[in-house]
Amino acid sequence: MLAYIGRRAVLAIFTVWAISVLSFVIIQLPPGDYVTSYIAQMASMGSVVTDEEAQNLRIQYGLGQPIYVQYLKWMRLIAQGNFGMSMEWRRPVTEVIGERLWLTVVVSVAALILTWVLALPIGIYSAVRQYSMGDYLATFVGFIGLAVPNFLLALVLLYLGFVLFNAHIGGLFSPEFNDAPWSWARSWDLLKHLPIPALILGLAGTAQQIRIMRANLLDELRKPYVVTARSKGLPELRVITKYPVRVALNPFASTIGYTLPYIVSGSIIVSLVLGLPTVGPLLLKALIAQDMFLAGTIVLLLGVMTVIGTLVSDILLVWIDPRIRLEET
Amino acid sequence: MTEPGRTPWIRTLRSRLTAVLVVGALGAVVAAGALAQSGKSSLIGKLEGPEVVTDPAKFPRSLKEAPQLAALVKAGKLPPVAERVGQDPLVIKPLHEIGKYGGAWRGGFTGPADFWNGYRCCSGPDHLMFWDYTGDKVMPNLARGLEMQDGGRAWLLHLRRGMKWSDGKPFTADDFVFWFEDIYRNKDLIPTPSAAMAINGKQGVIEKVDTHTVRFKFPEPYFMLPDVLAGSTDLGGQWSAYRGMGGFAPAHYLKQFHPKYVGEAELDRKVKEAKFDSWVRMFLAKNDWALNPDLPVLSPWKTATAINTATWTLERNPYSVFVDTEGNQLPYIDRVVLTLAENLEVVNLRAIAGEYDFQQRHIDLGKLPVFIENQVKGGYKVYLDPGDYGGDMIIKFNLNYDADPEIAKWFNTADFRRALALGIDRDQINETFWLGTGTPSSVVPADNNKYNPGPQYRKMWATLDVKKANEMLDKIGLSKKDAQGYRLRSDGKGRLRIEIMTLGGQFVQFTQIAEMIREQWKKIGLDLVVQEVERSLALKRTAANEQQLGAWNNDGSEHLFTFPLHVFPFELAAVATSGPLYVKWFHSAGTQGKEPEPRMRELMEKWKKAFGVPEKERIQLGKEVWKIAAEEVYIIGVIGMGPASMGVRVVKTNMGNIPSRQYNSPDGKTPGISRPATFFYKK
Repeated sequence: MLAYIGRRAVLAIFTVWAISVLSFVIIQLPPGDYVTSYIAQMASMGSVVTDEEAQNLRIQYGLGQPIYVQYLKWMRLIAQGNFGMSMEWRRPVTEVIGERLWLTVVVSVAALILTWVLALPIGIYSAVRQYSMGDYLATFVGFIGLAVPNFLLALVLLYLGFVLFNAHIGGLFSPEFNDAPWSWARSWDLLKHLPIPALILGLAGTAQQIRIMRANLLDELRKPYVVTARSKGLPELRVITKYPVRVALNPFASTIGYTLPYIVSGSIIVSLVLGLPTVGPLLLKALIAQDMFLAGTIVLLLGVMTVIGTLVSDILLVWIDPRIRLEET
Repeated sequence: MTEPGRTPWIRTLRSRLTAVLVVGALGAVVAAGALAQSGKSSLIGKLEGPEVVTDPAKFPRSLKEAPQLAALVKAGKLPPVAERVGQDPLVIKPLHEIGKYGGAWRGGFTGPADFWNGYRCCSGPDHLMFWDYTGDKVMPNLARGLEMQDGGRAWLLHLRRGMKWSDGKPFTADDFVFWFEDIYRNKDLIPTPSAAMAINGKQGVIEKVDTHTVRFKFPEPYFMLPDVLAGSTDLGGQWSAYRGMGGFAPAHYLKQFHPKYVGEAELDRKVKEAKFDSWVRMFLAKNDWALNPDLPVLSPWKTATAINTATWTLERNPYSVFVDTEGNQLPYIDRVVLTLAENLEVVNLRAIAGEYDFQQRHIDLGKLPVFIENQVKGGYKVYLDPGDYGGDMIIKFNLNYDADPEIAKWFNTADFRRALALGIDRDQINETFWLGTGTPSSVVPADNNKYNPGPQYRKMWATLDVKKANEMLDKIGLSKKDAQGYRLRSDGKGRLRIEIMTLGGQFVQFTQIAEMIREQWKKIGLDLVVQEVERSLALKRTAANEQQLGAWNNDGSEHLFTFPLHVFPFELAAVATSGPLYVKWFHSAGTQGKEPEPRMRELMEKWKKAFGVPEKERIQLGKEVWKIAAEEVYIIGVIGMGPASMGVRVVKTNMGNIPSRQYNSPDGKTPGISRPATFFYKK
């Protein structure tokens, strides 16, 4: 067991390194660099940036050097806990991301909890009561949830919220709490703003999870061991929760690897539409402006989270499913 | 085109990419009637604005101040108001009435690069001289006056006695000398000298005469200097933060970040501590009024919380030199609170919901019906401020395109360019995308502009005439067509296909309009390919001379001499270019690039000559420049003098001193030209 986890951990470190290289390369892929996009921005405002000035800027930002030199410099900075300076925000990357990271986690965890709280019981119900009225209803709602793009839902809810309830448009805080220090009032304000983004973000996931849970459980329910358990006289609730549900949970555990980065990036478009101060819109803007260190750090963060998530789900799987444990030892 | 009356709305619906507009457009259909009723006329009012009082006889005798500042004075934390303002206040006569102190102005901005929202209204490096509300006449602003000497070779700039930076330190000639010697002439900060500081390519100097007098000296007469100081130029203030320009800078504050005044070791330590890459980056960041709340400024408001946070707040500058005619120190409004919106749709929805008190930037003309529909509910009023420039949308021919000799040949054929201009149905575009609020036009500026060459140039090569266009194209040697009716290349290599490059996410929906032009040009047998590109890519392509046609606007071109880049090839870094090789030729005095054809050269020479001649002669030269531009159609004008670029204004009804129409231009930093320091809340 320990050897298993150890092996995974070593692999994880290699993967993280590979991701750091990849994320750096990805940032370099689009034509031009931050200076080009800066010149474009200046130009669209009618200011002339001369060739010499552009060259100077490239030297100041270290953009003129070969890509591997830039990469090594970045790595050296990271080793010192400094992720570089965001070119567009002109603040250290850690500060720019830091303040948004917590809000991102709050929104996404809320969405995740909502997803699971809704999806698991409904999934179990529609498997156990297959083809009942409730199953049809859950299926119907589930498919709608899957089919409607969540950004569209976000727009419609925003518009309705404004037209019907005169609600504040977008954001996670009322204007007066935007910059206020943390307090009970501010947390309460955040809680009041949370349901709509959480619902929108969670809905598609919920629908998907209901379907997965239902399909898996249906497979399990038909297996001989369930029949055996029933024939031995175990109460129905215990029959279902003790074995088939536990097995059916398998895919939930193995998708945690993707869930963790989703917490950060899954909400890009929705966050953009709802105007949420999360990491998603930041990544998008950083990529457009070719703000190298900021975009690179976020992509790296996403990669690391995927790796950690996979590691966690590997361990969880071993814990939930004795069969994997036995294979390994 | 089936039913002419309905087509625009169907088009509108089709052209909307973002879903909010689908939602909005439902409202739009409802409100279309309302728009038709209220009409263009009630939305576009009379041009008006506050005035700068220059007659000392009309100056206020005593000064008053905001209650919170009075309290600070009482507590001994601030000198009395008369001492703060100085002997020579900048007196402004408010548009309608003397206002009341108080309130916070709520608006939006979209991120750290969007400093314009705070710059245009409230803060930043203000202008030494600035336009009156018509955008036509240069008036004293931060400077008390400008005096010409030596036949235009020297200009005396008179500063206001006792005027202070926002930290209470005096604003004097030393701030100019510091800027000139230590910023402008420092090769690390500014590697290439600015054209604004030169006449005919020869650089000028700035000298101190006495504490309150500065001399700009040039080797040749520089009659344009007042306009350059008032306009959006390198001496017009706004490029201090990004590029170290501006003409003056707070020497007492910035010296601590300059290698000349602190030891290298200490500067290095400061750079490291602040995690900057170099002292230059740090210096420019410290010199950024929006980023650095500690930077002393001269504007009515100053930054309190920086632009790279979720709420960008500006508060009143206690040392503001601006006062109204009764001696109340301006601004009336206490604070300006700009909230970060992650995207433009959020800005627009918030404006519709009445969450902004005054917002003009980022307001989308396409949503005008929705704005009108929600006026009462949102407690605001919609105003339109059409620009004075001839093109909310223009199409530039890249005259230097050489990757395909056939296309290069046609782009350099005047009748080809003119025929294409005649093939555009501007009325259809105006109805669809401007909701009829624009004017179909050539590139020339509004009729009342002093450089406008005359009414006959408005429609020159700017009407729809498919028959004539076809005849012209036939005549120049493009008469052969393929089975689909498209014209064939003269070199026998198939269909003549040209490309137009557009950018998405702009104030004007260039891509969608280009798609419409593509349909219209089918009637003249021309195959247009519309390519939407991301702006960095656009820039790279134009610089590499890979662009064929480019769509953009020519805002700013109504100030022909301070903003020429959309009149002729003036700048390399452009998302739409008229010819990158001509730009090099122009700036290298003919040693690099490619020599333009005679008419273009004539245009360039006239423009250049105008800087060194008195105003009357300059106006004549300006008219001739526009004449050539309109006749030769180097750039096609599509729709002009419309409100598409920042011309839709949403203002709360309880705000006072709001002009019913304002001069809308980057040079006028609208709404800055309406002196937002005089805006106030009636209740």
